[in-house]
Amino acid sequence: MSVQTSSPGPITATGTQPRNHDGQVIAITVFSTIKLPGRLFLPVLFQVTRRVPKLTATLRELSFIHFARWCVIGKLPYNGPPQKKGRFRYPHMYFESNFNGGWEEYIDAFSHILTSGMTAFWGTSYGFPKPLPTAPFKRYIQDNETEADHYYCAYPDATSTMIQRALELDEKLAALRRDAKRMQPDAFAAAYRAFLTDAQNAL
Amino acid sequence: MAASVRMDLGDIQGDILRAYGNDYDCTTYAFMKIECPPEQARAWFTGVVDHVTTAAPWPPGEKPLTTLNVSVTARGLRALGVSEEVVGSFSREFRDGMSSRSALLGDVGPSDPKSWEPGLGSGDAHILLTINAQRTSDHERALGKMKAAMDAAGGLRIVYQADTELLPGSREHFGYADGFAQPAIEGTSDDKARGGGVPLKDGEWRALAPGEFILGYPDEDTRVDPKKRLPNAPAAPLGRSGTYMVWRKLYQDVALWRRVMRDAAKLYEGGDEHTLSAKVVGRWTNGAPLVKYPDKAPASFDPQTPGGNDFRYDKDKDGMRCPLGAHIRRSNPRDALGFEGHLSFRHRMIRRGMPYGKVLPEGVTADDGEDRGLVFVSFQASISRQFEGVQVQWLNAGNIFGLGHDKDFLLGDPHGTGKMTIPGKPPFFLSPQEVFVRTRGGEYLFVPGMTALAALADGTAG
Ligand code: HEM
Repeated sequence: MSVQTSSPGPITATGTQPRNHDGQVIAITVFSTIKLPGRLFLPVLFQVTRRVPKLTATLRELSFIHFARWCVIGKLPYNGPPQKKGRFRYPHMYFESNFNGGWEEYIDAFSHILTSGMTAFWGTSYGFPKPLPTAPFKRYIQDNETEADHYYCAYPDATSTMIQRALELDEKLAALRRDAKRMQPDAFAAAYRAFLTDAQNAL
Repeated sequence: MAASVRMDLGDIQGDILRAYGNDYDCTTYAFMKIECPPEQARAWFTGVVDHVTTAAPWPPGEKPLTTLNVSVTARGLRALGVSEEVVGSFSREFRDGMSSRSALLGDVGPSDPKSWEPGLGSGDAHILLTINAQRTSDHERALGKMKAAMDAAGGLRIVYQADTELLPGSREHFGYADGFAQPAIEGTSDDKARGGGVPLKDGEWRALAPGEFILGYPDEDTRVDPKKRLPNAPAAPLGRSGTYMVWRKLYQDVALWRRVMRDAAKLYEGGDEHTLSAKVVGRWTNGAPLVKYPDKAPASFDPQTPGGNDFRYDKDKDGMRCPLGAHIRRSNPRDALGFEGHLSFRHRMIRRGMPYGKVLPEGVTADDGEDRGLVFVSFQASISRQFEGVQVQWLNAGNIFGLGHDKDFLLGDPHGTGKMTIPGKPPFFLSPQEVFVRTRGGEYLFVPGMTALAALADGTAG
């Protein structure tokens, strides 16, 4: 479902199926079947990346990515027919991510910037090409991607970068408002200019 | 890789890899509709193909008086008798056409295809003939020959024609030198790698793979592919040596632009309108980049001299010199997005635009009712990745640059934030953002190589 807002902002969520985006945000959902070595390796990888945040620093630096999550699953929660009950024959990797911008740009960033990380996470999945070159990697993701049945974003107008900046601004503005109460006009003018200079990245 | 790429210049149409340059001062774009059966159209097309100018270098002193180039829309391919299967091998956006992508491209409000000029975006444009000449009798003669051939063939109609002419000093109508910042391409313009190529982390640059611009050649993906696969292209023989072309007629409201900048400058530090306008573009009117010349324009600057385009944004992360939202910084961020240029290097395009309409005399701030602006033309291997990527993600949206909903101040509309932040101490908020540029029409086209043109002409393209 895509919620119409009064000012939907520019269309920037591009290159994906209609149900995968809401306003500025795209959802991506990928299932892949894991080979035997992956069953042993992936749980270790997940532990290590959790314990050593440095390993995923670049991923977090890419501010248009809200989050990216990989996990191994053996079954899906049962939602009634026509779904079959029971476990998968093979364990699957379930990947989900939310991001701003275009689908292609997102996968390009994975390919070129997070090259070794992609190999680590997907290397033990059947059919995984390599993160580079990008064309076969994109085809692989596309082939294994599932379109969302329902995708909802509470702030379809906003991107994660905007929200981060807004929070920074909020703090700075609150400080100015608090201090302004005790200021003479001249002092306020100076403080206001200093505030603008300091907060311009968020304005 | 540079040494291994040899471009088959005789198979590639001219004015793509290398500009014809300022040798020709006027260009006519004639969009034709085919209203006859494919066989009849192909007979005419054969005659056209015989006169197409290729990229092969001209022997010294043998520059042709006029040049001719040809491109086709998806409907044009069908009208020439190309099968649905082969048309289906072209990219999605090309098949759908520019007007079907209007919401995405920001062609809304006064730029909505509903109010485009007749003949553009309506499905009537099949073939585009581009004729270059000096403004002399040669131009008239070339146009006359084209029309005579059409009349003789019958079943063809010009549905739209744009006549464009260079302005003195290669300026566009807002007064800025335009068209010289181009991607550096391996095997063609390696000497322009500094400033035109991909910024590497050691301060060096490298030229882009030719397949980013000409199909049938290795692209940036091929470079990292052990199997050296070539990029997706239309079915042979149409794909080889061809490229996709974006054609847009962009009206520029020069009087409005001047009034807004004049009024806004009254509030700007020093009241300097020239500096404020340069901040919007990212260059001074003579082309000198603000990152290098932040305070005032150098008395003389030739953007074509070696190194004229050689700069980065690494020493200007906060945009104090060149604003983060300046047109040239948004349209080609170079190293500004970090990650060794990996977020930007696949979004480059060759630009071959031409201004149209008479200059609004200096100092005039009232509209004179003249139609003037820029015929924007770009060549790229992928319209969606390159042209649309820039237009949608970088010019119409500001998120990737940390600019929220700020749109490119030069090209955008007021439906973002309606302002531009000019970084400073304190910053200046430039507003109101008005619609300075309106889309009057446009098409997505394909520029076939010479072998492909011959196949189209004799009906063997599949
Ligand atoms: C009427 C509309 C436009 C005007 C007046 C305009 C003006 C300019 C000017 C003055 C420059 C600097 C000169 C140069 O680098 O060659 C420039 C550069 C550029 N423009 Fe535009 N432009 C327009 C539309 C567009 C559009 C629609 C796009 C792309 C979607 C675009 C993409 C670029 C690019 C890629 C550069 C080169 C930046 C660089 O490599 O540093 N422009 N433009």
